[in-house]
Amino acid sequence: MEKSWKSYDSGPFYDELITPAGRPRVAARRAVNLLQGLGGEEMAARRAAAELAIREMGISFTIYSEGKNIDRSWPFDIIPRVIPGKEWDLVSEGLNQRTRALNAFINDIYNKQRILKDKVVPADIVLDSTNYKPQCAGISPRYGAWAHICGTDLVRDKDGKFYVLEDNLRVPSGVSYMVENREITKRILPELFENYSIRPVDDYPAQLYTMLASLSPREHKRPCIVVLTPGIYNSAYFEHAFLAQGMGAELVEGSDLFVDDDDCLYMRTVGGPERVDVVYRRIDDEFIDPEAFRSDSILGVPGIMRAWKKGNVAIANAPGSGVADDKVVYAFVPDMIRYYLKEEPKLASVKTWLCMDPKHRDYVLANLDKLVVKPANESGGYGIMVGPRATKATRAKFAKLIEENPRNYIAQPTLALSTAPTYLEDSVEPRHLDLRPFILSGKNVWVTPGGLTRVALVKGSLVVNSSQGGGSKDTWIVEGSQ
Amino acid sequence: MRLLSRVAERLYWMARYLERAEDTARVTQAYTHLVLDIPMGTELGWDALVRILDGQPVFEQSYRAYNEQNVLSFVITDEDNFGSIRQSIKSARENVRTTRDVLPAEVWEHVNELYLYAQETAEKSVGRRHRHQFLDQVISRCQVISGLVITTMTRDDTYRFMALGHMVERADMTTRIIDVGAGALMQQDRHNPTIDPLVWSSLLQSLSAMSAYRRKVGPIPEAAPVVDFLFKEATLPRSLSFCLNGLRAELSQLSHHKPALKELERARRRLSRLNPENVSWEELHRFIDRIQLDINALSDSVAETWFLPRQEP
Repeated sequence: MEKSWKSYDSGPFYDELITPAGRPRVAARRAVNLLQGLGGEEMAARRAAAELAIREMGISFTIYSEGKNIDRSWPFDIIPRVIPGKEWDLVSEGLNQRTRALNAFINDIYNKQRILKDKVVPADIVLDSTNYKPQCAGISPRYGAWAHICGTDLVRDKDGKFYVLEDNLRVPSGVSYMVENREITKRILPELFENYSIRPVDDYPAQLYTMLASLSPREHKRPCIVVLTPGIYNSAYFEHAFLAQGMGAELVEGSDLFVDDDDCLYMRTVGGPERVDVVYRRIDDEFIDPEAFRSDSILGVPGIMRAWKKGNVAIANAPGSGVADDKVVYAFVPDMIRYYLKEEPKLASVKTWLCMDPKHRDYVLANLDKLVVKPANESGGYGIMVGPRATKATRAKFAKLIEENPRNYIAQPTLALSTAPTYLEDSVEPRHLDLRPFILSGKNVWVTPGGLTRVALVKGSLVVNSSQGGGSKDTWIVEGSQ
Repeated sequence: MRLLSRVAERLYWMARYLERAEDTARVTQAYTHLVLDIPMGTELGWDALVRILDGQPVFEQSYRAYNEQNVLSFVITDEDNFGSIRQSIKSARENVRTTRDVLPAEVWEHVNELYLYAQETAEKSVGRRHRHQFLDQVISRCQVISGLVITTMTRDDTYRFMALGHMVERADMTTRIIDVGAGALMQQDRHNPTIDPLVWSSLLQSLSAMSAYRRKVGPIPEAAPVVDFLFKEATLPRSLSFCLNGLRAELSQLSHHKPALKELERARRRLSRLNPENVSWEELHRFIDRIQLDINALSDSVAETWFLPRQEP
């Protein structure tokens, strides 16, 4: 155990806690020293305590496997990730800026389409996308906010700089684990918190409530807010319940709601129908309203789009927000920032080749062994090819996919994702990770201090998704120099 | 405080399942004691336990003989038996899982722990060696959850639907426990002075009512006074009378309560007409069947008034 700390070497990668010289980074020094002093037995005891806490708190997620739903305990690594507050403040500003531009873009696309007319973004890539919902045209939600809850994935490259990997604007998940990870660390490693000033994350539900309440169409001291879940078999059900409880909101399923002749949304309660002001929906656009989208959906509420268009109810995220959540559109976000905000982007994006562009496509096809190829609108790490690790056959398969449907593919350089010490079996080893902060946009824009750090538990792996064997870490934004 | 119809329904069933797990553990405990106490030659059949829980059809799908091993497997751990202790706990947990946002956080944690405990130990608690400890644990863990609910929840509709679920199930199970006695004695001659007190004291113990009976009625448990006590003693929390009165108190605070109250009054009237002094065991058994139907009708009325309308296919 002690030995593995001493021989810890993250190789060519930027490490979050340890410098290339093998010493703890300034902000992480106290935490690393303390953890090093714990010894193997004590570390194992703390990990067992964490596993017990996770089981007892019932923190779980569901994965689908061969037609079965399996409820799994949340995978958690007890060594926290530490980020200095000053560094984070810059990232936070960048996220704030980026989200404002994305919302301006969505609002523009469904209204005047200035950015298309000015040819800053090619019209066909937006309007031909399956993520563009013509049903939403002409609507202008309060504050021009569409993607009220945005989960932006960040990675650090080997230069130690943060890059935006993608923006999740539809129904991003993971925030409950961010809150619970802190709760677990407090329970199992309380001594780590001494001498640290760590920005709290447990007020997220309160911030979410404030943002959602600001969207209410009726002026009410306590507007009626509901969290709309597809139900218990959804992989993120735990989170839906967690957030509803944290906000004191009702957790509802489609069958609990109905739209009446007055085009207002109501929920069925034991005291009779009650009007709903704000719906935080955790189901996809396609399922939200069988009248407007998929008619076979039993998860949604018939007529809810009608109620929304009339301004009788707010929906977060607004239907159609996914139009900006597309890996082709991603490439244009820096241009959007300049176009709408007249500012330079504060956060870097990853260089992106669009396979729809013949020149880009040629480059991608010639360099498949160096690039990461992604489908334009899949999430959860599905359908991705990591070139340097792919077999010849896989590369050939992707070459074919790209040529058949170039619009649907983009490519990016293989990033050297940063690492952090991760406690595995009985040693501490470097593992790759990313970071998903959450940005709330209503009357104001607010960014979580830190976010959810996901870590690839398999040696050398870059895939951090929990559905594919990823774990997570508590993420600390710490004040001052330690 | 608003309460969704669907949530009300799940709270109601969560409470029923928890109560069912606890009360099934109580009946099983009582029956096991009874079997141990009864002298050789007058053995009770284990089939009575299955009959009391209305489990014969399901039982006979999986088992041939009504022996101790089979019956206890069926009652404690059988996953095909919806009313087994393990399945009841599992169903309670599913219902809490979907309503945890309206419950104190500890309720979920305790129900989840109980679930994990039952998953791990139910199977090996069928034999006599570990059975007692398992049943004891189930009872006391259910009591912890009930205690948590009673001492931390605000008295609103959320609480009310759980209280309804508990009392509907408890009323039903109390009649079943009395049926154990009636059933056991129906198998015997009309009167058996050695067995009678054993039967009745084990029933009282299963409802934690032995000492209350001693102080209120007398030291020797006899048929008619015990039946009267468990049915009609208004101050005993597990008596039928107490449950029905409690149901009335909760129901009358809900809006649109008329149809459910009507069903409840039917049961209350039936109970008030019962005179345990001069009924035969067969008559008592029939009375119990009828009052169970009344309780079912009440439950249906609650569902119709307050729960989600059934979805048309």
